[in-house]
Amino acid sequence: MEVEQKQAQVIEHFVKQASSLQGSSLVSLIVQLTSHSSLFVFSEILAVPNVLELQGTGYAVYIDLLRLFAHGTWSDYKSNASLLPPLVPDQITKLKQLTVLSLAEMNRVLSYDQLLEQLDLSNVRELEDFLINDCMYAGIVKGKLDHLRRSFEVQFAAGRDLRPGQLGNLIQTLDDWLDTTNNALLTIEEKIKWADKKCELDAIHKKAVNDRVEEVKKSVNNKLD
Amino acid sequence: MAESSSSGLTFKLHPLVIVNISDHYSRVKSQMHPPVTNTSTPPPPNNGADGAVEAASSSSFSDSASASCPRVFGCVIGVQRGRTVEIFNSFELLYDPATHSLDRAFLEKKQELYKKVFPHFYILGWYSTGTDAQESDMNIHKALMDINESPVYVILNPMINAAQKDLPITIYESEMHVIDGIPQLIFVSSSYTIETVEAERISVDHVAHLKPSDGGSAATQLAAHLTGIHSAIKMLNSRIRVLHHYLLAMQKGDIPCENSLLRQVSSLLRRLPAIESGKFQDDFLMEYNDTLLITYLAVLTNCSSTTNELVDKFNTAYDRHSRRGGRTAYF
Repeated sequence: MEVEQKQAQVIEHFVKQASSLQGSSLVSLIVQLTSHSSLFVFSEILAVPNVLELQGTGYAVYIDLLRLFAHGTWSDYKSNASLLPPLVPDQITKLKQLTVLSLAEMNRVLSYDQLLEQLDLSNVRELEDFLINDCMYAGIVKGKLDHLRRSFEVQFAAGRDLRPGQLGNLIQTLDDWLDTTNNALLTIEEKIKWADKKCELDAIHKKAVNDRVEEVKKSVNNKLD
Repeated sequence: MAESSSSGLTFKLHPLVIVNISDHYSRVKSQMHPPVTNTSTPPPPNNGADGAVEAASSSSFSDSASASCPRVFGCVIGVQRGRTVEIFNSFELLYDPATHSLDRAFLEKKQELYKKVFPHFYILGWYSTGTDAQESDMNIHKALMDINESPVYVILNPMINAAQKDLPITIYESEMHVIDGIPQLIFVSSSYTIETVEAERISVDHVAHLKPSDGGSAATQLAAHLTGIHSAIKMLNSRIRVLHHYLLAMQKGDIPCENSLLRQVSSLLRRLPAIESGKFQDDFLMEYNDTLLITYLAVLTNCSSTTNELVDKFNTAYDRHSRRGGRTAYF
């Protein structure tokens, strides 16, 4: 997963910086990292104690902003715009990219209409440009754009930060996958046994027919004698 | 003698080398027939990529308790780029048991010949068969050190071990270690990966898919095909299980949560279900129906031809009775 590897260094760098800063300088760091072009995951930053300290202070909105970037989408931002600080264009782009990732979580085929609505874009041209330049070239999404069916088939989407409850879902999905493969294995085994048995039955049948033919031949020969 | 190497070199081995070595060994082994003394033993077909050699070495089985497997020797050649050593090819060498050394003149002549065809390949080391590296091998190793400062030593273990999953090949390098106050060269084993070129992959694939030679009934071919799929799914199953355990442990708290891994798992799981869309169902059902239709057609043809034969036989058997009286036996 190249996306993860690319981000690992950036994350480390920012975590180091975050642990040494406080207050307003931390705020500017948060703004910086939410606009960073290759950083899409924020749970490590959220775990830094200095960041959590911001909770009680006047800068609490920035923690909410960070949480929004970690788990939320563009529509979440719009509905809470009054509570959150204004975003610079870079942050807006990043939030829209993260929105695409969240949508890709739900369905594999995203219709253009849905995307247009969620991302607040006005025409298909802009949407396709956004998808191609900001999502696919950044490497967070891989897929096929179907212009005729006006849909975007996602083949791969990078992971976003996990909410605490999602780990259970992951485990459940893995469980189901395990069950499916086990069933597939059993079905194949059965089929192999069935094929072998059929082969045996066929051989027995052929032998019985041949024996009968031999018998009849012998009896005809005897009659002629 | 076999610790793991610390030189940091990565080794890439091509299947051609493995097939060459085992071919050499099997040839020498089968040339030792007819059994005169206890030196003849069942030639062991070895390693998974080797169905072809298996077919070539057919022989009588004799008492293998007193087996003395012949050791064969040869040279490996390839390319070294930086820290990666890629072993492409190999050729055989004469071993002189009296002096415990390899025939030097032959080696140099062969080297020259190969240089003309493959100008980029250098002699990277040598190979032999056996279970483990031995003391006398160090002499050969040192002798080769004037061609290549750090030759590699590839050992193929010709004993088949059905339980073993990996290839019976070990690659040794030599390192200077201080033992009992004396600096000595000892062999240290290193790991390697198998690297294939397209052409090699095709031949290895072909050998791995050897069908039973009688062409088999449809059932055996079907069984072989299904068994292949079965093992592939089994591997997938075991890997999913590993992930599952890992996530369970993480949830219980035995392992600290590693976000990056969790993200990768979630992105992986998002690719499921892998095949499900309207288009896929359409295409799949169409192909399924086509196959069923063709099978049906084939069965119908079979049936009609059998019926035809039966009618012919019937007519031949009973024709003379029904001709008189103008009754036609068939329309």
